[in-house]
Amino acid sequence: MNPVLETRHVSKIFGGLTAVNNVDIVVPEGSIASIIGPNGAGKTTLFNCISGFYKPETGNVLYYGSPIQGMLTDKIASMGIARTYQNIRLFKAMTALENVMVGFEPRLTQGWLTAVLKTPGYLKEQNYVIREASKLLDYVGLKGLGDNLAINLPYGAQRRLELARALANKPKLLLLDEPTAGMNPQETDEMNSFIRQIRDDLNLTIVLIEHDMRVVMNISDQISVLDYGKKIAEGDPKQIQSNPKVIEAYLGPGAAALSEKYRREKKQ
Amino acid sequence: MDDNNKKSPLKLPQNSIKYARVIAALLLLALLILRGVNVAREAQLGSDTWLRLSVSGLVIGSMYALIAIGYTLVYGILFMINFAHGEVMMIGSFGGYFIFELFNTIPTTAADGSQSTFLNTSPVLAILIAFIVGMIIAAVAGYYLERIAYRPLRGAPRLVPLISAIGASIFLQNAGQLLFGPQRRQYINPTVLERGIGWNIELGGSQVVITYTGIFTLILSAILMVILFLLVQRTKLGRAMRAVAQDKQTAALMGIDVDQIISRTFVISGALAGAAGVMWGIHNGLFNYFVGFIPGIKAFTAAVLGGIGNIPGAMVGGFFLGIIESIGPAILGIDFQLKDVIAFTILILVLIFRPSGILGEALTEEKL
Amino acid sequence: MNKESLRKSVSSALVVGIIIIFLALIDFHVVLAGMIQKLFGKQLYSGRLPDAGFFLVFLGLIGIWNGWRAARLDQQENKSLFQCIACSAAAGLTTGLVVAVYAVIVGSIDAQGTDLRVYLSLLSSDSIQFFLFQQPVFIGGLIHLGFGTLLAAAGGFMAALYYRNQDQLKERLSSVKSWYQERILNKVQSVPYINYILLGIMVLLLGIMPQVWGSYWNYVMGTVGIYVLLGLGLNIIVGLSGQLVLGYVAFFAIGAYTFALTTAPEPHNLVVNFWVAILASIILAAISGILVGLPILRLRGDYLAIVTLGFGEIIRILLRSDLLKDFTMGPRGVRDIAGPTLFGREFSSSADFMYLIIIAVILSIFFAKRLQESSVGRAWLSISQDETVAQATGVDTYKYKLLALALGASLAGLGGALFASRNQFTGPEDHALMVSINVLCLVIVGGMGSIPGVILGSFALKGLPEILREMENYRMLVFGALLVVMMIILPEGLWPASRPKLEIDVGKESESPQVGAGGES
Repeated sequence: MNPVLETRHVSKIFGGLTAVNNVDIVVPEGSIASIIGPNGAGKTTLFNCISGFYKPETGNVLYYGSPIQGMLTDKIASMGIARTYQNIRLFKAMTALENVMVGFEPRLTQGWLTAVLKTPGYLKEQNYVIREASKLLDYVGLKGLGDNLAINLPYGAQRRLELARALANKPKLLLLDEPTAGMNPQETDEMNSFIRQIRDDLNLTIVLIEHDMRVVMNISDQISVLDYGKKIAEGDPKQIQSNPKVIEAYLGPGAAALSEKYRREKKQ
Repeated sequence: MDDNNKKSPLKLPQNSIKYARVIAALLLLALLILRGVNVAREAQLGSDTWLRLSVSGLVIGSMYALIAIGYTLVYGILFMINFAHGEVMMIGSFGGYFIFELFNTIPTTAADGSQSTFLNTSPVLAILIAFIVGMIIAAVAGYYLERIAYRPLRGAPRLVPLISAIGASIFLQNAGQLLFGPQRRQYINPTVLERGIGWNIELGGSQVVITYTGIFTLILSAILMVILFLLVQRTKLGRAMRAVAQDKQTAALMGIDVDQIISRTFVISGALAGAAGVMWGIHNGLFNYFVGFIPGIKAFTAAVLGGIGNIPGAMVGGFFLGIIESIGPAILGIDFQLKDVIAFTILILVLIFRPSGILGEALTEEKL
Repeated sequence: MNKESLRKSVSSALVVGIIIIFLALIDFHVVLAGMIQKLFGKQLYSGRLPDAGFFLVFLGLIGIWNGWRAARLDQQENKSLFQCIACSAAAGLTTGLVVAVYAVIVGSIDAQGTDLRVYLSLLSSDSIQFFLFQQPVFIGGLIHLGFGTLLAAAGGFMAALYYRNQDQLKERLSSVKSWYQERILNKVQSVPYINYILLGIMVLLLGIMPQVWGSYWNYVMGTVGIYVLLGLGLNIIVGLSGQLVLGYVAFFAIGAYTFALTTAPEPHNLVVNFWVAILASIILAAISGILVGLPILRLRGDYLAIVTLGFGEIIRILLRSDLLKDFTMGPRGVRDIAGPTLFGREFSSSADFMYLIIIAVILSIFFAKRLQESSVGRAWLSISQDETVAQATGVDTYKYKLLALALGASLAGLGGALFASRNQFTGPEDHALMVSINVLCLVIVGGMGSIPGVILGSFALKGLPEILREMENYRMLVFGALLVVMMIILPEGLWPASRPKLEIDVGKESESPQVGAGGES
């Protein structure tokens, strides 16, 4: 049984900078995997390699066992991989509903001619898309906001809209880039449970990049830690929390020893 | 994806597009070489023509290079094509022209006692002042161009400043036409730098003249290019310019007045274009309000050829374009009136096969 | 009085002064005065020049604007009426001084008998005298000085009043607006079948006018119509799919020349049926759109612009060249192009052709509107908003960009064919860069991506100048300035695009479409 996603020896080099250095990650089906690491560790670059924005210099990205690195991003989307973005990238001048409708693109079959002539086949498809897109909006909690322009929505709603658009691709693998950035604790908790809910309802596999440790430790089945482009640790939340290398990466050298000291003192 | 489209384009798998491009490039190259060899074999043109063409190509190329640097500077900093740059060159041409005219009306007596004009008795001074005035006026024009037509549009989507630039270009051209009339004017050079005279070289049985104006243009352009290069690489202003080009926000955080740097960039690029304008007048003689348009487009082509955002690239691109334009029609055995076609075709080909230009783009990829 | 605001008003006053001098140098003041006078129907010429009165009005307006601006800058600092006026007066003084100095210099040179037209071709002696109000040099200068200062002060006064009572004025204005809306607009909209009535009126007009208003207007409106076609096509390419194409005229040329070369007696003597020729033009233009698109699909916006510009120029030069003369007739152009025939009967009167153009325009508007509101239009819009993300969301950007180019080019081809047929002639000079720029500007000025905007833009671009024949020379000048100003003030255009409200068509089924890529639910 192939894992949903596997990166083998993936490296991405920009000029003199190796942003991603020989990273191997395996994501089993149905799991929620997180990628964490200090800023600049290469997490978004890795995402970009996976979703097709970058072509890695070395290595393979395997989706259910088949290599997809370097493929065009629309092809990748039609294969069932969808993503959201660190800085929200919605289609600003389009309404919320339309944003989600764009996500149905890979599944559309009607062309321009039938669109102009408004054939029954075209209308059937249009209605289907409108109906399903509205359902998605409801699902993410944006019921009734479909006719608002995307830029007019509040921040939290925009994040959820981006999620809805990603879900419109009918993905099997969902890549979320810092889904709780800029949210207050309450919104973060809601997003937390929502991510889990999506995974359960829709049978997805989810990979996230996150900085908020509450989210990461709470919902991840597996955590991979990157630092300076290399993977320095991997495991479940408990393992990662006490991994000295991870502590050092975040807090600097010597922090690991200090943390160990505190833990021993606490036990006494 | 299935194709319900009537005029559906061929849906080719990605790899075959790549192969197709390589094959097409090689075929094209082969065709050109074949043609070139054919023409050379027929040997209709003597080596004197080749020399003449090469030299004139170099000279024009140097002017293109100066204007191209201006484009590349602005593009590097603002990521926009300064469509009105050609008109700035035109303004410089007019500036130089009027200075020469003015000096030509001042009567003086020459060393040998004959009647002459200031222009001819102090040619060095006259030329110097003409260039300075031309460059200053063009620089001022560049400055106000940015202030009025570009600065208010700083954050706007790409299309908007482009249209504004087009509008400014149309405005300046027509202002030039209304102010100075549609007729072509002739530069009156000091007799020392009269057009058409120069070193005579015997080659292949006929005379080739390497004009003094041509040499003058080449030398002066080279000097200006060196000065510019040193300015950008070695001075504080140059560092600031490079910083702003790389990352405006961070530069601002480091205490650089971004607006001022942008203004200064326009001033410098304008000055260079103005110099090119004066040179154009001195070397080519005839000019009018429209003189900046085609050289402007060609200079932009040159900047792109060399790699937009890349200053040495603009220089290389300028010379390259000038020479190809001159020699190209001869090599390919086609009419001279098609030399513009060659320039544009080269642009298209370069952009298809090597979009980052000859020396490669100095600008970073869009990061996500 | 604040030094900073004083400095600002003085420097902006300087710019105003330079603007006035510039206008004087291009004789604008004479032409404008003449035009205003014509518009008001009065005949007040004394000799060859209009009356000084209108010049004073012109200067007065500028002076008031000058003062207003200065006052506005000052308003932010303090509210004392006196200081405000003083600031404006200072601005007016500066401008007046600058202008006066110019007038004195130029007037003196002129008085010595030198003809300045050698250098500044519109600066005739008459023009200079007009600028000086036909007075001796220094008196004329003083008039400018005094008048400028006075009117600027007046402008400042008015501005001060306005800003003090700004809120009240705004309230007044909005109450007028709502009255208008309530009483008039709503009443009109609630008349039953009002849409159909308006449509009917329009159809009636379109049906009758071509017969009535004569061949000149048919020609002008026909040109407007053809530009609407071009605008719609470019709108698809630039406005909807976001590809900046500067060589659009190339497709126009291909359409025109295809039609011309297939129907004219020379050089090929094909004499093809009118309608077949039109079809051929459209198809050939579409194909060329695809061919142009294929190599440039991956270019960034500005590069795309320049490459297409180059392509357009190449086409024009080739059409003009001796190289292809045997094929395209070179600079002389193609003559005796056929007019439309229907069932063998020729109908090429100006009214008939106008009907043809009207039909073509209506069909194209329908076509463009349907496209814009469809999923294709949505895909295009997503590409223009954020191409990278659109592609990652599953939109096949290559296909859609090519489609936009093909469809946009085919509209241009249609326009070109109709153009050639109507004029019965076409030559390389019909296909210069200016056409591309004109169409681009009308799309932008009307409003990118907006079909009513395109129509409005075409009227503004092609219809108005006909009316403003008087200002022929200045037309392009104003046009260029207008572009810059519009981009600063109103970049979304005169009639911005808006997204349609999407509703499920009641009564139609909504099943899942047949198989597509990706999972099923």
